[in-house]
This record gives sequence, C-alpha cells and structure tokens, in this order.
Amino acid sequence: MISYTVGRILQTLLVLLVISFIAFLLVATLGDPLGLLLPPEASLADRQELIARLGLDQPLLARFLHFLGGMMQGDFGLSYRTQEGVGAMIAARLPATIELAFASLLVTLFVGVPLGILCGVRPNAAISRVVMLVSIAGITLPNFVVGVLLIAIFSVQLGWFPSFGRGQTVDLGGWTTGLLTLSGWQAVILPAITLAAFQVTFVIRMLRTQLLEVGQSEHIRFARARGLSERRVWFSYAMRNALLPTITMLALQLGNVIAFSVVTEGVFAWPGLGSLFLQSVQSADIPVIAIYLIFVGAVFMIINLIVELSYPLLDPRLRRGRA
Amino acid sequence: MTAPLLEVRDLSVTLARGGDELPVLDKVSFDIAPGEVLGVVGESGAGKSMAGVAIIDLLVPPLRRSGGTITLGGERLDLLTPRQMRRVRGKRIGFVFQDPMTSLNPVLTIGRQLTDTMRRHLPLSRNEARERAIAWLTRTGLPNPARVFAAAPHELSGGQRQRVVIALALCAEPDLVIADEPTTALDVSVQAHMLQLLRDLHEETGTAMMLITHDLGVIAKMADRVAVFYAGRLIETARTEMLIARPLHPYTAGLMQATPALDAAGVMRVKAIPGSMPGLGATPPGCAFHPRCNRSRDLCRQVTPPLADAGGHAAACHFPLRQEVA
Repeated sequence: MISYTVGRILQTLLVLLVISFIAFLLVATLGDPLGLLLPPEASLADRQELIARLGLDQPLLARFLHFLGGMMQGDFGLSYRTQEGVGAMIAARLPATIELAFASLLVTLFVGVPLGILCGVRPNAAISRVVMLVSIAGITLPNFVVGVLLIAIFSVQLGWFPSFGRGQTVDLGGWTTGLLTLSGWQAVILPAITLAAFQVTFVIRMLRTQLLEVGQSEHIRFARARGLSERRVWFSYAMRNALLPTITMLALQLGNVIAFSVVTEGVFAWPGLGSLFLQSVQSADIPVIAIYLIFVGAVFMIINLIVELSYPLLDPRLRRGRA
Repeated sequence: MTAPLLEVRDLSVTLARGGDELPVLDKVSFDIAPGEVLGVVGESGAGKSMAGVAIIDLLVPPLRRSGGTITLGGERLDLLTPRQMRRVRGKRIGFVFQDPMTSLNPVLTIGRQLTDTMRRHLPLSRNEARERAIAWLTRTGLPNPARVFAAAPHELSGGQRQRVVIALALCAEPDLVIADEPTTALDVSVQAHMLQLLRDLHEETGTAMMLITHDLGVIAKMADRVAVFYAGRLIETARTEMLIARPLHPYTAGLMQATPALDAAGVMRVKAIPGSMPGLGATPPGCAFHPRCNRSRDLCRQVTPPLADAGGHAAACHFPLRQEVA
C-alpha cells in the first residue's frame, strides 16, 4: 500500500513535469516578449541587455531548468500585459475561484446527493419523475445559457441577486473573502448554481443508476432476508456500493468544472482565475496562460490522487494486495 | 403429533404480465413441524423457490402473493405489516441464499455483516456481537475465524463464503431455516461438506428446515419429509423413505429414474421424462403432468386431481402408481 502510494505520487509529479514543459514551450516559442516588454524606440543595446536578462540566449533545456527553478522559488515570471509577477496575479484571483468552487460543491452535495438518493430509492414516486425530467435540462443546457437564464430571472426580473461581481469582500491577510458579507453571499449564489448545474444533475443520475442497480443485487435481497431495516439496507449496505463509482465519475468530471468555471466566471464577471485566463487569452499573455495551465493541471492531478488514495477506505477489495 | 411450526395453506403466487396474472404457485399447502427437515424438490420453474421467498414476503414485482395463509408458531405472517415482517426475517426465519458469490455485500467485512444482523435482532453489545460472530464462524467450520471476521468477501473461496452465508442465516437463532438450493452453486467436492454442515447445525440448534433443491440425492440424505412440486402445484408429499420406496405420482417416479445412478453392473442409468414442464401460463387443463404421462386418461385431461392423503402419503393423481390401471 505504501509503495503503491509513493508510486502514484511519483507518477503525479512526472505528469506535472510534462505539463510544465509543454507550458514552458508555449512561453518559449509563442509571441515576442521583446516586442511586448520594450518600447518601440528601444535601442539594439537595450534589446541585447533584455535578452541576456531574460536568459533568451541560453539553450532550451537550460531555460526550462531555469523556469522550473524559478517556480520552485515562487518566481512565476512576468505578465506581458501588466508587467506584474504572474504569481501575485494568480494569488490575488485565487480566493474568488476557490470560494466559487466551494459554494458550487455545497450546492452539489446538498441538492444532488439527497435528490439522487430519493430517485434511486423511490424511482417510481411522482417527485422522482419530476426531478429526472428537470435534470434533463441540467444535462443538456450549456453552462452559459443556465447563467444567462438565471440572471434574466433572478437579477433582471426579480432583482434578488446581483448579476456580476462578488459583492463586498473582506481582506483576511492576503485572502479576500466574500463569504463574510451579506452582499458577498448574495453574489455567489447565482454563479454557484450555474457552475453546479451540471454536477448536480450528474450526481442525481449517477446515484440513481447506481442505487437502482445495487438495489436489485442478491446481497441486498439477502440483507433484507436477514431483517435489516430499510434505512440500514439503503444507507449503509447499498450506498457504500453506489458511492465508489459516483465519486470516481465526479473526480473525472473535475476537468468540466474547471472548464465551466471559466465560462461561469465570464458570464458573471466573477474576478477569479477563469476570467484572468480569458483576459490573458484575449491579450496573448502567454506567461499567465502557461502558469494557469500548470496550476489547473496540478489541481486536477492532486484531487484525482486524493480520490484514488481514498478508495481503500470505501472498498475493502482494494485494501490488500495492491502494492 | 405436535402442532406444526409452519403451516402454509393454499399459498398462491402470480406474475403480472401484460394485464394478465399468470399463476406461479397454485394453492400450495404444506406443514413443517418443529425441528423437521422438509425437502422441497422439483424442476427449475416448478415454483419451489417462489414458495420459500413468498413465505418471507420478499417477492419482487411483478411477482406477488395472491392468496393463502402462512402461520408460524400460531402467528399469521400474511397479516403482518412490512415493519413486523422485518422482525420475523432473520430472527424467526433464516434464509440461506443460493449463490455465495453474489449474496455477500462486497464492500463490508464479514464481521460487520454478521454483527449488524445479530444486533438487529438480539440485545447484544458491540463486543458481545463480535464474540458471537467469531463463535458462529468457528461453528461453521471456517479456519482462522478471527481473520475471516475482518476479511472482505472477495478474500474467501466459494465454499468459505457459503459457510458465511449459513452463519448469517442462523446467527439470530431462527426457528426455521429456508435453504434455497444451498449447494447448487458450489463445486461437487464442497457440496458434501456443506450438506454435512447444515445437517450438524440442524441437529445442534434443533431448528426446522425447508430445504429447496432439484437434487433427489440431497433430499434422500437430508430430509425427514419430501414435497414434490410440478408446474406450481404440490403433487406429492410423504416421509422421505416412503416416497423413495414407493412413489405414488408418475412424475415423482420419473424424477427418481431421471436421477443418475449406477446399476449393479456399474452402468450409469438415466431415464429422462419425455417432454418438458409447461411454461408460465401454459398449464394444460386437468392434471398439469398429463401430456408427459403414459398413464393419462380422459379424466386426467379434464379434472385437476386433488392432493389425496392416504396414511401420511399424499399424491395428486387420478391413477396413482400403487393402484392398478383398470
């Protein structure tokens, strides 16, 4: 088990290295940093001086190692657009995105899981049929349409929630949070629902399918034949079996969440990483794009790693003999 | 004779298909005395498993119990609410499932499944339940019971899993155990061990047993009394030695001849019954067996023979074998 864990961590690091190299190649080969960083009237000497300072005269591999070394020390390069440090730019935007992701996770857990269980345990109840019908909308409507619809109804028509921004924020030593003010909570609701729309329907359908399947199995019949209560049969005997595939599929869906967060942040002008990424793409700000890619890759890999390493807690079949 | 533990009267089960209610079990009646082993035998689809499942009220739609009474120790089970019925299952009637590979929850340890079952029915602390569970695993002949307690089902062999299934069915000390083809899914070498185990546990605990099987050899070894099912009807019942020595129903006789056996010269003799059992909803009028029976007359085609009891040996046949055909 330990050597398996170490192996998986090493694998993760290797993939991150490859992602970093691809991101580095973007920076190294796309765009012209000299043209962007120097004024048009700069002299040849100025150019030579900058080339030497940026290390552009070095061989590619040396430059990659320098790039990696810089990242290790917290130097993520300079934005072509604002001349700021990319690290600081990302750090400033990170709290907004994490809070949005967290809020949408809450929506997924507190709406998706109970409704999924309901639809799986009572598939023929009227309310389950309604949930399944509505959930088709969640699967088929594109994210930005959901966002715009919510804005049209709740911001424009009803005026309950703001249509953009994150409301009033409070600075907690470098972490700006919107979760301590009323306007911050109001602002996060619509984007969180938009971002969660797909996840919620996904969890409902996944849990329903899994529970329906497990509910038919012999071991559940046997649990009933031993007189176990319906609550125990569903919540500990069936749920344990249904949870593992659901969590796996959710973790694999993480890529969608990241992609959708870019769209959602765009629709709601949410000042997070996604809108930073969009701005950077529009102005060909390659260093920011590169670091964003590495960052997203790292988050994706780490969450998948955590999910995978937690499987043995849920399924004893994976506890032994997997070293 | 003591009062029966289980009394089943006119038990009927139907399967709903396209607006029709097809009979799966047709007014079946039998008793099981305390401590008795009733062997229920018949081909696949004869309704023998359905009878067992109907008794514990676990039929899954489109199957349903459409009539009859079930009395256990003087209490009408067919009148109980689902909640009361859950107290009967496991506690008063244990059920041994057929396939040990699919009957255990794959993600819970053996110990968890045993202690959950015991603590549902018996007032036991966590530690007491653990001790009893290990004692049950020992009783069912599992090596290293403490390790099995902590193991997941996939770590055990098929035979070991079936021992666990038996422990699970018996751990709340029921008065009656219904064993549905408990050896069918096992290797032949393991089958004999499993029957011996059931026999031993039956003798130790004094529990009554309804042993459902298609194997007359198992019946001969295990059962005090036999009930033969054909096309959803009970067609013959008697004490095992009576039934084997002198079957009254031509189907029972045919079933015995269809059981592979070596004759005196060491030659394998198998004699199949011609034709096949009628499918669901295709039961012919009169005696369900008449199209395959070489003794059938017009009467057999028109009138369903009642189960006629003659000195503890009952058969549903107009022209039973003991009687000369006129």
